[in-house]
Amino acid sequence: MKYFKSLVRPYLVWSFIVVLVPLFMIFLYAVTNSGNSLINIQFTLNNFGKFVEPVYLEVFINSIRLGLITVAICLVLGYSMAYIIARQKEKVQNFLILLVTIPMWINMLIRIYAWKSILEPLGLMHTDFAVMVGQICEFLPFMIIPIHTSLSKMDKSFVEAAYDLGANPVQTFFKVTFKLSIPGVLNGVIMVFLLSISTFMIPQILGGGQYMLIGNLIEKQFIEVGDWNFGSAVSLLLALIILFSIRWMKKIDKGEN
Amino acid sequence: MLKKLARISSGLYVALCFAFFYVPIIITMIFSFNSSRSFAKYTGFSLRWYQALINDSEIMAAVGVSVSVALFATAISTVLGTITAIGLSKSRRILKEWILNINNIPIMNPDIVTAIGLMILFTSLKIEKGYITMLLAHICFCTPYVITSVYPKIRELDNNIANAAMDLGATPFQALVKVIVPMIKPGIYAGMLLAFTMSIDDFVISYFVSGNGVENISMIVYNATKRINPTINALSTIVILAIVFAVVVVKLAPKVRSTSWFCALNEKIPKKTRRVFEAVCGVLIFVILLRCGGDAKTLKVYNAGEYIDDSLVTAFEEEYGCKVIYETFDSNESMYTKVMSGEKYDIIIPSDYMIERLAKEKFLQEIDKDRLKNLGNIMPRLMNQPFDPENKYSIPYFWGNVGILYDKTVVKTEDLEAGWEVLRNPAYKDNIYMYNSERDSFMIALKALGYSLNTSDRAELDRAYKWLVEQKERVNPIYMGDEVIDSMIAGNKAMAIVYSGDAAYIMSENENLGFYTPQSGTNLWIDGMVITNECKNDDLAYKWIDFMLEPQNASLNSETVGYSSPVEEAYKEISMTVYADNEAYVPRQDNQNDEFFRYQEPEIKRYCAELWTKVKSQ
Repeated sequence: MKYFKSLVRPYLVWSFIVVLVPLFMIFLYAVTNSGNSLINIQFTLNNFGKFVEPVYLEVFINSIRLGLITVAICLVLGYSMAYIIARQKEKVQNFLILLVTIPMWINMLIRIYAWKSILEPLGLMHTDFAVMVGQICEFLPFMIIPIHTSLSKMDKSFVEAAYDLGANPVQTFFKVTFKLSIPGVLNGVIMVFLLSISTFMIPQILGGGQYMLIGNLIEKQFIEVGDWNFGSAVSLLLALIILFSIRWMKKIDKGEN
Repeated sequence: MLKKLARISSGLYVALCFAFFYVPIIITMIFSFNSSRSFAKYTGFSLRWYQALINDSEIMAAVGVSVSVALFATAISTVLGTITAIGLSKSRRILKEWILNINNIPIMNPDIVTAIGLMILFTSLKIEKGYITMLLAHICFCTPYVITSVYPKIRELDNNIANAAMDLGATPFQALVKVIVPMIKPGIYAGMLLAFTMSIDDFVISYFVSGNGVENISMIVYNATKRINPTINALSTIVILAIVFAVVVVKLAPKVRSTSWFCALNEKIPKKTRRVFEAVCGVLIFVILLRCGGDAKTLKVYNAGEYIDDSLVTAFEEEYGCKVIYETFDSNESMYTKVMSGEKYDIIIPSDYMIERLAKEKFLQEIDKDRLKNLGNIMPRLMNQPFDPENKYSIPYFWGNVGILYDKTVVKTEDLEAGWEVLRNPAYKDNIYMYNSERDSFMIALKALGYSLNTSDRAELDRAYKWLVEQKERVNPIYMGDEVIDSMIAGNKAMAIVYSGDAAYIMSENENLGFYTPQSGTNLWIDGMVITNECKNDDLAYKWIDFMLEPQNASLNSETVGYSSPVEEAYKEISMTVYADNEAYVPRQDNQNDEFFRYQEPEIKRYCAELWTKVKSQ
């Protein structure tokens, strides 16, 4: 067996270079001034200080707000979709899930472009509505699939038992079905939140230039403004937001069990 | 009864959801067969966009890049991921947990964070951005998916199987290839499939790490969102059909394989034929690679988007037997950032104030005017401007000013008398496009307030900032880039801030529009061709400049993009023929208040950038 141990070595080196080093460099950029050479590093927290300014604070609040709205709408739409699908015969279920997955395989940009060509003649481009439609269409499958997985794994006899014990359909749904599907719901919520908070193409294309979310702010710093230090600080914060929301969700998951 | 109702409504709901997913896709496919450019009307069946697609070398190159990067990245990450997963199952617990945690980072991290991390890495290692960086980045984000799909399969494996094989005399390598790998095949296939789709779909990471004109399909589509281009519909249709076909095949494959004819088919193919097939595939990939990387004599040109007649590039390539790598930028600022991040170009076409900045920072070569035989074709009054006295570094490419493009049927003439203030008239709430550019927006506010557009007085800038914020509150304008061209042709809004040249083109497509430059002054600009210090082939660079100053070429260019040519002959010809009576093609030159942009001190520049971000995120 010991023969195969060394097989991890290439990846150990590789992941160190392309995963850990870049993260460290983002961190380094985030805590230094611009125009530094490696020999003459000056540490600063100014890049993080900027977040407190109302402008950038607003960008963060807007992104999180939009992310939460997207998650809420996707949850309602996705849950009902997954619920209906899970009640079909197995063959029908497989077919419907295939239909849900196909759009996920199709290039995201192509689908955004398609939405643009629909919304443009209708005069609906560059509105909150356009951005929401784009986001929900892109991310809904990520909500449906995990919820469907936990619903279809669920033991149906729990539901029957609840009815037998005198629960009405509403009680049965909330106290049994929904509770048992919480792992799937949490997975879906994390995925959709992660995707919607970090996207910059959907707001850029469907929302127009005045749409500034975290993703756009990062892209701007790197592509337009050239302030890599501030851009790195924003990215670091974004990564932390995501990390903490995942942690938090996992805690809820454990609490439920 | 109630049950039936519930069933019908839930069926309807599912149908609606699927419509939501599929209608845009289907409409794209239908309109790819449209005979006209329009998205609003279907005018008849035609294959012209497919023909255009095949003839579009830029898109075909992008397809080649997408496919070959996906194949290589899949192959490499599958091997790397599989051996890592196998090694992992035999490693100590601490190491195992460590690696699995690191492995989760690229999966869980937002794409954009992974992307900028890699971008910083490649830049600091001084690896030139292009095909190789894209491939490395793709391997980086594909491998974790392979590991996560293979690893669980290995854990299901009986630990003693490999031992048994080796006891029976197999070498470790044989045990690996002949025993372990076949048993975890389903996991490997799943990982491979995931890696391939991740790679071929990727936009964010490729967008940040690629360069030197290497683009994949997603990047082409992203750039195309600025202007309507039905060729993209044709491309999308092909991609969609290929993916649907692939998904269906993968889903049905287990069933098909078990049917007898498929088995028979599989067995009938002799090993030799299969080898030949594999060889052909290999050669194909190699050829694709060569096409991407091969270069003879090349000239790298960096120009603003929608700013050239493409046929001129091809004509230049043919005339001088060279290859032109032609890249475009959104704004002078994004161009500057890219150049600063180490990207190298031979020729760049920036605006006046940016030329001044690049010259100040010693990025440009002095131009030897004796090497340009067409220099005399340029209108003398466009030479010797304050931003580049004696034209030491730049040769004019186009010129013009900035003004308000307005819909004559909607905007009242007396409203226009207010000058730039018309842009804050509540009567046009939600009906105005501003230009998504910091300097141009501040120019408008400063000129509306009667200041110089080159002011470095913070109090004046603060007032301009207030002007813009109040504008946002009153009329809620939309800040647009090149997309404004199609939107105004379609007549979507009453007013838009545009450059005179774009205005000339838009007005030639929509006769309801007029162009107005307020008396209080505007920005007069000249974009010029410059040769960088990095230029590897200055002979070709001079030929390019001369080529653009050839009256015939200048006319063609000016006619296509709508901007005013600095070449006297071309300017006269176009202003009397194609753009006759088009007030935007002939920018005014007699207003005392009109100014050129000048170089901004970094401190003022940063101050404006911050104010601008504030305006936009109000």
